Amino acid sequence: MLEHQSPELPRPARLLAAALPSWPLEMVLTRALRALADRRPELFERLGVHSRCVFVVRPTDLDFAFSVVPHRWQGRVSVVRPETRGDVHIEGPLLRLLGLLDGSLDGDALFFNRVISVSGRTDALLALRNAIEEAELAPSDLLGVSGRVGRFADAAILRAIQALQGMAEPAANATPGAL
Amino acid sequence: MDRPENHIGLTLGPVLFNWSAERLRDFYATIADRSAFDRVHVGEVVCGKRMPFSDPVWPDIIAMLEDAGKEVVVSALALPATVRERKTIAALCEDDDRLVEINDVTALSQRGGKPFVVGPFVNVYNEGTVRLMASRGARTVCVPVELPLASLTSMAQSCPDIEFEVFAFGRLPLALSGRCYHARLHGLHKDSCRFICDQDPDGLDVETMDGQPFLAANGIQTLSHGVQAFCPAPEEAARAGVRRLRLSPHTVNMVAAGDTYRSLLDGRIEPAEALNRLRGLNLPGELVDGYERGLAGCLAAGQA
Amino acid sequence: MAIELVCPAGTPSALRSAVDAGAHAVYCGFADETNARNFPGLNFSPAEMTKGVRYAHDHGAKVLVAINTFPKAGTFEPWRKALAAAEEAQADAVILADMAVLDHAATHHPGLRLHLSVQAAANTPEAIGFYADTFNVKRVVLPRVLSVEEIAKLNKEIDVETEAFVFGGLCPMTEGRCSLSSYATGRSPNLSGVCSPPEHVEYVEEADGTAVRLAGFTIDRFGKDEAAGYPTLCKGCFVAGGKSTHLFEDPVSLNAAGLVGRLADAGVTALKIEGRQRGKGYVAEVVKTFRAVVDAIEAGGDPVKAEQLLAGLVEGGRQTSGAYRKQWR
Repeated sequence: MLEHQSPELPRPARLLAAALPSWPLEMVLTRALRALADRRPELFERLGVHSRCVFVVRPTDLDFAFSVVPHRWQGRVSVVRPETRGDVHIEGPLLRLLGLLDGSLDGDALFFNRVISVSGRTDALLALRNAIEEAELAPSDLLGVSGRVGRFADAAILRAIQALQGMAEPAANATPGAL
Repeated sequence: MDRPENHIGLTLGPVLFNWSAERLRDFYATIADRSAFDRVHVGEVVCGKRMPFSDPVWPDIIAMLEDAGKEVVVSALALPATVRERKTIAALCEDDDRLVEINDVTALSQRGGKPFVVGPFVNVYNEGTVRLMASRGARTVCVPVELPLASLTSMAQSCPDIEFEVFAFGRLPLALSGRCYHARLHGLHKDSCRFICDQDPDGLDVETMDGQPFLAANGIQTLSHGVQAFCPAPEEAARAGVRRLRLSPHTVNMVAAGDTYRSLLDGRIEPAEALNRLRGLNLPGELVDGYERGLAGCLAAGQA
Repeated sequence: MAIELVCPAGTPSALRSAVDAGAHAVYCGFADETNARNFPGLNFSPAEMTKGVRYAHDHGAKVLVAINTFPKAGTFEPWRKALAAAEEAQADAVILADMAVLDHAATHHPGLRLHLSVQAAANTPEAIGFYADTFNVKRVVLPRVLSVEEIAKLNKEIDVETEAFVFGGLCPMTEGRCSLSSYATGRSPNLSGVCSPPEHVEYVEEADGTAVRLAGFTIDRFGKDEAAGYPTLCKGCFVAGGKSTHLFEDPVSLNAAGLVGRLADAGVTALKIEGRQRGKGYVAEVVKTFRAVVDAIEAGGDPVKAEQLLAGLVEGGRQTSGAYRKQWR
């Protein structure tokens, strides 16, 4: 199993993340979620009744968690305390969670290999996993930017993720493909 | 036979387990002698490999039952595969004297339009399928165990000529497989199984890792651990379009089970009393009836 | 005749992945109880189906639409709509199981090519002949209970094409004849298009690991370092005859890559990959590998080592050739 080798954010990034105030982050992420709903409403239809569920996403290498209610244009992302309860809980290293979103990690592996742990309503979780699977999201979708700026952001962020992943994960360790 | 319009018949289904020839003979002698069943199924349904043992006893059993005034239905295999099994079904479908129960589409085409009963192993879930079966000679349809009573009612309303039957008593037949679970559990191959399913005449109990009773294995068949006990009041059954109740044989006193259901359907006892009497029969599992209510089949009986 | 590789797609993006990876045909279903993979978030709207068929046709691939569940009496409308939508989307065939659905398709959509789903469990010449004669079914997806030798014999006795599963999740029970799921949960493959439905699945953390419960029944338990799978009832661990065992089936996947040549010799027209509930990464990898296997066999070249190539994608990390070898029984 990969649990002991899973990449954590390096220390400088952790400190930086902890120092960020939560409300601009909430605003940026909520706006991005709603912009996505505007651009690709069919993705949210895939969630069906589960779009009203509270998904608590907890990066284990951060000191806070995200609470996401993906209810289309009324969707909301909040920064919450790590122990906050919701309908579905997803927990894992931030880079793995991001890898999930952009589709570079296999969804099944994600939920079942236990690098990422899940609990709560399995039907809502499965709906989310299938919606994400179809979405093929890019990092820019999370920030709500598109066009040239979006492409630039994607390139920069993906490079950063790779660099971080390189720092956090010695070459001898497993790659995402081995999940 | 002269019966009132809303009379509900009592069927004894085929024995699903690997009973010895002696046990079968004794069992049917008792049924012929003093049971309340008006229709009795005979024949091997689950495993073709058991046939060489039971085949020789059926002619006597059929004669005995018919002499006693029972209507006999010959049941066909549910999962025929080998040439020998297919030939057996073809021969059985030649029978002009009595109804044949088809338990697989194989037998449907072999029956060639002669009257038959559709067993619960055939996927008849809707009126379109019933009409198709009726056009080919179906007289009685025992619906699949997972079909809710409400769906049967809907079919009965659009197909008034078909006699609808419900699997009312016994461990529920839930699945069939190409694989034999008795053989697998004992580390044997199906082809050299030593017929060890005969050790479990009511099926082998299957529990969860936490000791919850759950299923029962019977060779290639999986049944419920719980014992179906659908006990409707007669007017409720008639209103729902039910014309027959099927009781599936177990090693318990089946004459008593038949008497209980006859008393229930004749209005001589209440459903709660019927359940009480069934509980006294030393059954292999708890009483269940969730399927009839459109719910999980494992739910306890009499909760409606 | 060339072997047709029939590949799964649970979403439009998986359809594109399958086509891009070399699928000759893709099978998929609408997002409701009319198909046997009715999981939340999965499957196609009629508009997505139309676009998907166009994408496949533009790339030389076919689309087969699975409408392979059994309508309960009085609830025919979703199946009627699904058939109409499949024809509207210009699907190359529909995969059906229920006799009333087959009858409706044969009567009202004579232009639609009909395939018989594995859910119909037709495994004898008589049963297959019935569906061919009555509904003009052109192809039958074979139940996973037959050995290669039996398939060869069967193909000599029937006039319709056959399609055989070669990879993916393996039902140990005869498909279309299993009510284990509804016994525990009230929902089953035949009636609701789902087995072991997720709303009844619960992962419970305990001192020594995780218990997996389906509607309250503990169907498996795994330690902290063990990989988990989707908790399908028949792959669970149970106690029988005093033994704690995977009584029905071990958590393994079917991989008949090594038997593709023999299946082709046995007269099989199409090879089917299971996995509409799996991600597009899985689809791309499995399709690419099997396309290489098929191409190598058709070219008479060396067989591709598909067992090794796909080892990372199979459930529980283990593979079996299932009923194709008689010992499985």
